[in-house]
Parts: sequence; structure tokens; C-alpha cells
Amino acid sequence: MAKKISKTEVIVTGFGGQGIVLAGKILGMAAALGDHRESTLVQSYGPESRGGACCAQVIIAEKTIQYPYVKMADVLVCMSQSAYEKYKIQIKPEGYLITDRDLVNPDNQREVFDIPATRMAEELGRTMMANIIMIGFVTAVTSLISEKAAREAIMSSVPKGTEEMNLKAFTRGFEYGRSKLKGREKKAAGQTGAIA
Amino acid sequence: MEEYKIILFLCNWGPHTAYQQLQDDGYQIPSEVKMIRIPCTGRISKALLFKAFEMGADGVAIVGCNSGACRYGSGTLKAENNTEDTRNIIDLLGIGRERMRLATFLPDESEALKKFLTGFCEDLKQLGKSPVQPAGLQPVEASGESAQQVIARYDVYSCQDCGKCTASCPLALSGKAYSPRNIVSDIIRGNDTAEKVYADVHACLTCGICHERCPSDVNFPEFIRDMRCLLNQTRVSGERIQPHGGFFQSLMRTMTSKDIRPNRWKWLPKDIQVDPDSKILFFGGCAPYFDAFFKKHQQVNTVDILADALRLLNFFDVRPRLLEMERCCGHDLLWSGDRTNFMRLAKLNVEMIQDLGIETVITACPECYHTIGLEYEKNGISPGFTVTHLYAFLENAIHKGAVTFKPIPHRITYQDSCRMNRREEIIDLPRKLIQRLAVEQFQEMKDSGRSSLCCGNCAWTGCDAYSKALQVKRIRQAHETGSDLLVTSCPKCQIHLRCAMEDPFQETELKMEMIDLTSLIARTICWE
Repeated sequence: MAKKISKTEVIVTGFGGQGIVLAGKILGMAAALGDHRESTLVQSYGPESRGGACCAQVIIAEKTIQYPYVKMADVLVCMSQSAYEKYKIQIKPEGYLITDRDLVNPDNQREVFDIPATRMAEELGRTMMANIIMIGFVTAVTSLISEKAAREAIMSSVPKGTEEMNLKAFTRGFEYGRSKLKGREKKAAGQTGAIA
Repeated sequence: MEEYKIILFLCNWGPHTAYQQLQDDGYQIPSEVKMIRIPCTGRISKALLFKAFEMGADGVAIVGCNSGACRYGSGTLKAENNTEDTRNIIDLLGIGRERMRLATFLPDESEALKKFLTGFCEDLKQLGKSPVQPAGLQPVEASGESAQQVIARYDVYSCQDCGKCTASCPLALSGKAYSPRNIVSDIIRGNDTAEKVYADVHACLTCGICHERCPSDVNFPEFIRDMRCLLNQTRVSGERIQPHGGFFQSLMRTMTSKDIRPNRWKWLPKDIQVDPDSKILFFGGCAPYFDAFFKKHQQVNTVDILADALRLLNFFDVRPRLLEMERCCGHDLLWSGDRTNFMRLAKLNVEMIQDLGIETVITACPECYHTIGLEYEKNGISPGFTVTHLYAFLENAIHKGAVTFKPIPHRITYQDSCRMNRREEIIDLPRKLIQRLAVEQFQEMKDSGRSSLCCGNCAWTGCDAYSKALQVKRIRQAHETGSDLLVTSCPKCQIHLRCAMEDPFQETELKMEMIDLTSLIARTICWE
């Protein structure tokens, strides 16, 4: 997808404190530093980033970006119900809607790629890492950034000493995304279970 | 030209008269035919029929009375069943089903008998010599080891006589006068050649609970295994303690012949995809033989486990290679005390797998996993590939996510496999997988996990009234959980528990549905 469309607009949104802004920052950094493309980030500040519906707007493009705000997103990542309600209209018809399965109850109007990111993070030992799992999932599902670039960006963005855990979280989300895609492919081919 | 050998089992009653008539008429019985006069064809078990092939027969004919003319009533019917099963088995083994024939003659049908004998001889010459090299006739290579050395290897001297082994031994708990501790002290005292010790050494289930409980960490199962190897060096196969007439040991010894070309995968369902260039090999195990042997008796269907394992690999986009000429892994030979032939099988398997350039071997059988993954190396054959249990592969693949399970309207309980229970790296896997399933209820039996009860037999040795009592006890435990489906992870647990359920004195009280965990997963797994 990223290769064909010259400009991809992303909205990452959720509660303040979930690491929404950091997730946006990592996406942008990976695209710019790892994949050598252009990227911008507009992050919410003020009351939202301290608990409300927090939001990070990222644009990734091949050419210089003139305007950094996102009106209609190609990829909308929602990590809370209130954020979903607020931003669900700002997604293009062909865009990807990506949610945390346990935190967002979508209204079935369009196809959803969901992942139990927060639950997985709990399993891994730190709820905080849900955002990194989400980045892994987004990377696998949308191919917005390359896997290598994402890993490098995570390494340089997360606090010292937690790199390994965060990479593990990324892998968890990435693999989930890959098997999700595979599952869709199989289902589309009419193969749902192991026994025909 | 080498001489052909045809074993003719000839019933004493009808056909023997015809046979004598032929001789009286001056007919020269073909020199290939070695006649054995028997009281009734129904008494010639599958083990005896097969034994002839193991010992180098090119053909076996079993000749009896016509159906209805059997002096004992059901002899002919039994012979028909045994012949059918044996033919299926030698076909799987690649010896060729045509080498085994059943015919019936009335006393006055000497001409027909003559035609049969000459016809069979001619057909066999067309087929050529049997590919079996009789391994059973070769002397067992003596290891030169003494009982003292085996005792020293497992530091059996450190036994503190505490009796925890006896207190935990499933056989002792079923009422058998049986004590690992006493066996040990008998052997240490030098009584290892006594008949009682021989019998006791062979009654052990090698399930390993005693080792689990032993405060001195004496590895009793492996000690028993090595004692079996030692004690059997001086015995010919007929003197050994082997249920089913020693059929399975016989079968596995036959597989040591290099020239046989088994076709054990010919039953493979069409929907399964395999790839002859894959670096991953699926090692099936002996399930097809078990099914052929037990078909009439209990409708065992353990090949389903292999098919479902392959389907699960396919589900996760793994198309493995299959080894057409796969032999038994050798587990049962090793654990019934025949290290020589175990080594032959091990070398053959490893050579064949290495020649294919295989990197990973996946198996769904706990015994194959244990043997190929651990025993080969211990016995000085380094495999050069990694061995993975299917459960480890599944857990890894399912953990990645996006996979779910259809609900199953059953309350389940789980029968542990002894071999799997003693391996740290896989001991938790079956339960992890069960926890993922959408069952109505999962309830452990009274004895579960590390203190789980054995299904009552190991390596086709030591089946007696006490092991039967143990099986009955185990099935009762399963019923007490309130479950209606018993999940197993080893094909042999299925066979042995199913046998116990047929106990005529218990009528239908013990009946319970059984399924292997692999099949249960395969039937319910689906993409989200």
C-alpha cells in the first residue's frame, strides 16, 4: 500500500497515557529515519494527553509534506471507545480501521482489524506496552513502514533497559497481524478450519 | 538359484486328509513347501503367521476346513480374520499381501489342493524372494556388560530403602505384590537371573513415577530398561515375556531389514498436502500397523491422529515431507530389551532422514519424540536435525494469534502420556493447548500431571490382571470427573484404555468416548 500511494495519513488515538503520542512518534521516525521517506507528527497536548481522547496525527509521504494536519485518515488506530466515537467519521472508505479488541466496540459499519493489544501487554507483564504491540500489528497489516525500520525506531525511542521487552511486544503484535492476514486470506479462499 | 521357503500351516482335519491323499497318489509335494500340521487354523494367531515372515519365509499358506466344516465351530472364521489382518500388515510393510494366502479344502479335494500348492509356488517365484533378512535369527550382540555395571550407572546403590517407589507404583497400588525397591535389592544381591526377577523386571510399566518420587534420584525406568537389555541377551525371543505373542517386537525386528520398502503412507487422505522438497519431515510412527492389528478387535483408528496432525500443519501453511520408507523409531524394542535391533532401526532412520537433507522432524507421537529426540543421541547416533513435538509447534503457532476454536459440546478430561510427562520442555504443553479449547468443562482426574497413572502397558510388555485392574481404575477416575470425553496424547493410551473398556464383566459401565488431543484441535480450530 505504502509503495503505491504517495501519501498516507494516519490517526492514532486512544486515552492519554496509553502511549498514543509515542506510537505516532515511532511510526513517523521509522518512516523518516529507517525508510528514508518524509513524515510529520501533530500531537495533541493539554487536557487530552492527560486522560481524554488523545490523538497523534502522522503523515508519511514520498515528497515534502506541506500541511501536517489529517482530515481523512488512511489508517485509523483506535485504542479507546471514546476515541473511536470521536474519530470514526475521519476515515477514508478504503482506509484501515484498527482497534484494540477489548477496548473498542465498533458499530460494524466497516471491516475492522482488531487485536487484543492491552491483554497481550498484560500477558507480557506490562500494560504500558500495548502501544508497541499496536505498532507491530499496524506494521504487519498495513505495511506502512518496514519491519526493520520499526524495530530500529522502537530501540531508539523506548527508555533504556526496556528495549528487549519492547521488541518482544512488537514481535507479538507483528506476528498476530501476519496470522490475521493469513487467516483472512484463507477464509476468503473458503478454508476456515483444519478439516475441509 | 536360492531355494524358496513356503510355510504351510495345515489343519489336522479336512485338508490333511487331502494332503495325505496326494502323497499316497505319488505326488511330489514341492520342495519349497514346509508343512506344519496344526490342530485348527483358528489357533494360528497373527503373531505366528507374521513370525514366519520375520524368520525369512517367502510365502505363508494357511490351509483349513471350509467354513461350517470346522470341527471347533469358529476356527475358519478366526483364520479368515487373522489372514486378512496379517495381509494388511505385510502390505503396509512392503512385503506384499500376495505372499500370504488362506485356502480351505474338504478331505476329498486333493486335486484342488495340488493346484493350490503348485499355483502358489509359481506365483511366489514371480514375486521373487522376500526382502526380509531374518534379524531374529542373528545372535544378539552381547554388550559385555554385567549387572553390576548397570547398577553402578544408575547409582542404584544409593537406594535408601524408604519405599516411596512402592508406595507410588501404579502396579503395586493395583494390588500386585510388586516393589521396585525389592527388585533393586534382589539384583544388587546377585539374584538377577532368578525367574521371579526376570518377570518383575518385565512387568514394570516404566512410567517413571517412582523416579519422580525417589529421594535419591535413582532413575528406575532406565535401570529397568538396561536390565531388560542385559537379561534378554541370553534368551531367545520365544522365552521372553511379550504380550500379543510377541507380534509387535517381531514386526519391529522385521523393519530392520534394509531391503523392505514399506508403504505406510498409502492410506493418506487426498486433502492433505505434502511437499517432497520440504526441509521439514513429519515422522508418523507405527499407528497404521496398530490399526491393522487391532482392527477387528476394538476398531482402533489411530491413523486419524496422523492425518489430523498433517492437517494442522497444513492449516499453518506447513507442507511437510513424508518418509515413504519410515521405520519404527525403535522405542518398543529398546524398552523391551532388544538394544541390538533398536540400534539397527535408529541407524536406518537417521541415515534415511539425513539423506533427504531434513532440518526439522515433527512428530505427534510422544514415544517417537522421546526416542528420536533423546535416545538416539544417548546411544551414540547423532541425528543432525532437530526434533519437535507437534504440540510445541501448535502452541507456538496458535500463540501468534488470530486463531480461535469452535465450541465443543463435551466435558473433557485428560490422560497424560508417560513419555511426555518426563520431559520438562513439553510437560505443560498439552494443558496449555487444552486451556485454549472452547470446551464445556475441563476437569483433571484425581491423579494427574506428574502423578498421573499410566495406561497400563509400555513397549508391548507386561500385560496382566493387575495392569488391567490399573486401567479399570484409571477409566473410573475419568468417569468420576463427570466428563464424557477422554482426551489422550499417545496412540497406545487409546489402544490400551479401549481394550479395558471392553471388559465383559463391567459391561458398559466403563464405556467412554476417546479422542486424541491432536484430533480434537484439528476438528475445532479455525481462523478468527
